[in-house]
Amino acid sequence: MILTQDPLWYKDAIIYQVHVRTFRDSNGDGIGDFRGLAEKLDYLQELGITALWLMPFFPSPLRDDGYDISDYRSVHPSYGTLDDFKSFLTAAHERGIRVIVEMVLNHTSDQHPWFQESRSSRDNPRRDWYVWSDTDDRYHGVRIIFLDTETSNWARDPISNSYYWHRFFSHQPDLNYDNPAVREEMWSVMQFWLEIGVDGFRLDAVPYLVEREGTSCENLPETHAVLKELRSKLDQHFPGKMLLAEANQWPADLRPYFANGDEFHMAFHFPLMPRMFMGVKLEDRKPIIDILQQTPAIPDSSQWCLFLRNHDELTLEMVTDIERDYMYDSYAGEKAMRLNLGIRRRLAPLLDNDRRRVELMTGMLMSLPGTPIIYYGDEIGMGDNIHLGDRNGVRTPMQWDGGWNAGFSSADPESLYSPLILDPVYGYPAVNVYSQKRAGHSLLAWMERIIKTRKSNQVFGRGSIEFLHPANYRVLAYVRQLKTETVLVVNNLSSSAQAVELDLRRYKGNILVEMFGRNIFPRVGDLPYLLTMGPYQFFWFRLRRI
Amino acid sequence: MSVGEVDVLVGVPTYNNAKTIGQTVQAIRVGLLKYFPRERAVIVNADGGSKDTTREVVAAASINDLQRSSDLYSLRTLPCISTVYANSPATEVALRTTLAAAELLRAKACAIVSPESTNIAPDWIEHLLRPVYRDDFDLITPVYRRHKFDGLLLRNLIYPMTRALYAKRIREPYAVEFAFSGRFCSHLLEMQIWDQEAGGIGTEMRMSVTAIAGGFRLYQSFLGTKPHLDRTSADLVTAMRQTVGTLFWSLEPNFQYWSAKHETEAVPTSGSECDLSVEPIRVNRKRLYELFRSGVAELEPVLKSILSAQTLADVQTIAKLPEDNFKYPHELWVKTAYEFAASYYKSVISRDHIIQALAPLYRGKVFTFLMENRDASANDVEANVEALCVTFERLKPYLLDLWNARE
Repeated sequence: MILTQDPLWYKDAIIYQVHVRTFRDSNGDGIGDFRGLAEKLDYLQELGITALWLMPFFPSPLRDDGYDISDYRSVHPSYGTLDDFKSFLTAAHERGIRVIVEMVLNHTSDQHPWFQESRSSRDNPRRDWYVWSDTDDRYHGVRIIFLDTETSNWARDPISNSYYWHRFFSHQPDLNYDNPAVREEMWSVMQFWLEIGVDGFRLDAVPYLVEREGTSCENLPETHAVLKELRSKLDQHFPGKMLLAEANQWPADLRPYFANGDEFHMAFHFPLMPRMFMGVKLEDRKPIIDILQQTPAIPDSSQWCLFLRNHDELTLEMVTDIERDYMYDSYAGEKAMRLNLGIRRRLAPLLDNDRRRVELMTGMLMSLPGTPIIYYGDEIGMGDNIHLGDRNGVRTPMQWDGGWNAGFSSADPESLYSPLILDPVYGYPAVNVYSQKRAGHSLLAWMERIIKTRKSNQVFGRGSIEFLHPANYRVLAYVRQLKTETVLVVNNLSSSAQAVELDLRRYKGNILVEMFGRNIFPRVGDLPYLLTMGPYQFFWFRLRRI
Repeated sequence: MSVGEVDVLVGVPTYNNAKTIGQTVQAIRVGLLKYFPRERAVIVNADGGSKDTTREVVAAASINDLQRSSDLYSLRTLPCISTVYANSPATEVALRTTLAAAELLRAKACAIVSPESTNIAPDWIEHLLRPVYRDDFDLITPVYRRHKFDGLLLRNLIYPMTRALYAKRIREPYAVEFAFSGRFCSHLLEMQIWDQEAGGIGTEMRMSVTAIAGGFRLYQSFLGTKPHLDRTSADLVTAMRQTVGTLFWSLEPNFQYWSAKHETEAVPTSGSECDLSVEPIRVNRKRLYELFRSGVAELEPVLKSILSAQTLADVQTIAKLPEDNFKYPHELWVKTAYEFAASYYKSVISRDHIIQALAPLYRGKVFTFLMENRDASANDVEANVEALCVTFERLKPYLLDLWNARE
């Protein structure tokens, strides 16, 4: 299969997020690796995804699951070699699957040679590669992100007897982007991977690149200047490659990351995600519509990335206090489920393992404007383990079958990088790919179908959106349009049956063709279009004039 | 409008209230957003067919976004249903419409707010609904900060008589702002009080009496200042029909309840149970005195059929007193009220005429109240009212004797 040359390929993509460590262990050491990931590319191709987002796989002391990088130009030996990666990349491309690599620009591990040099002496050539200070008074008032573990954004280094700046863990010192040498080196790192053939980067923690006194040290103009510089070089030397921003900000603050189509190609829509969960729990479309109506227009070449869950806690940073309290009460009744300002649970447990709600949420993920991301394991409804530390409870081994180590690894179970999920509801004997492959009604089979249906029409990835406002606020309805293609999406957010009357007069004369079964619904007339919907049911209709 | 089940409902009855309804609805919205952000709420406007822009103002007030802040942000849609009820505008019909909506929507807690309460504050919503929604009370009546010369009918007759007979110290038994539980709502609808005599008017009074006699849990919430509304003479008779007439009417069906009560009980209350302000308001005292005297004279044939000979003679005696020396003593007034109540029960003449005949005598009592409290402090006024209440309680056996004699 040949990858499309469409420069806007990312708008039609279905992205699958995975950590190579979690997916498949090929050599029996208990840790997933690239050879194992390559073995499972056929599975991913059958699922229908078109891009893989790989979490950091670089050498690292793994104190933050690989987000603390100690060598940017290699592969962690637990995951294989650089050649293994290249083989995997080739195999992915052969199956029409692009590969997006995570690149942590903001900070390194304190074990990185750069930092070791920087801290060794105030005169070291790399001293200025990090942000140093003789006191911890600078940038006073800047918020702490990892609230549960850090008490300051400054850490004292006993070796150089000074403080260094870190927006995340104290073992992750921030790079100094005011230093041209840093900017040049990080471009060189990206260039290295682009020349190998990767299709894009998910740039981690981009709002925090540059600091200035008297500011929040987030989203500064100087940060955008750095990012634009990277984008310019990317377009010049590697056209068709993509940059995805990880910026957990309000929509208005996210907009600058698209600039005039000359900064990021894509950005995560963080504020939408918790509001989707809220809407379903409240049985009210208001939170979803409110945030999308606040979302500014973005350049035609830009794209939002939508997701339900990921490797981190379900972040509640970009919600109001009332909304946060509601989310905690509704979705994280036990304190162990809460971390930092979020909820560390997987999709299925969050939705009480209710198949209907999982389908509804996935349906919205696939039909709202943006590129959807599926977190590994959510396609089969994997569970979590809230008793593992940090965010590790949502990063357990992929469950392939009901046999030895869930088919993940041939190693002794005690040597796995993480315990498997074992409880009777979500444990691997109950939830695994093999079982679901054999059942036509399984969640996995359904996911394959919805992905296929989504890919059948570019309107989902490229079309406009207009919300309808039926009187029944338990129903979220919107029209997606791209040129002559019109799709009506109707979602019942309620746990009970609902009737809804839609004002479709402008589409009078059209018939509605339900997209999954391709059955024809009545023609639109002058009267409100009546639909009756079961609990959590949703419809996708193509409007056709015949 | 498909609202579905709700947790709390706020009803606003309207008829030609375009000048004031906008701020009322906004205050309700703020109150719901601030104090019940998670609850499924709805505003129900029962309109009597307003000829002005009342309904448009209601719709506009509901749609307008309030300034977004963490205090005011609503998790949920807050729908506003505006409906025009059949028949001519009437408070009772509006209330019944609202009760029906509350039952249909299975609301757990409902509040009714007057469209004329120009000083309504958002926390009224919390004061009215919280005791129902969170503390499981059934009927919440308000307590207001009133001017010492405001609420005269309430202080000189309704409150003390209701308190004495029904043994509950409810300061405002016929309020225009109140709240009730879903179960009390269902009870009221089942009772079909709307079709009965006196059920078509004085519904608020009926509700209070029904709640008391039915053993429902009562509560009082302090809301704040009650704006003073100027009333005409004609308004007094109408008001007396709705309140006194309803109170009198209620005594027969509830005889077994009130006749067995001897000790009055306090009702749980949040905030001050009585709060009086002393800022001056204008009252035409001289006119009250003149209307009393002329009423006693002109209505003598009517009063003869209502009052006992002794009471009538005592009333005619005080009617001869000069204005400066005039006084309608508590005991005489209580006997007057009880004899009217007993006559109403027996229907010695048309019940409506009985109520009308009480009006001039009431004016005499009010004149006395105004003169005695002219320079009184708030505490002194309250002490005076309390003394009247005690007199009503003490003379309750007198009413029972009259009642049984009329049997």
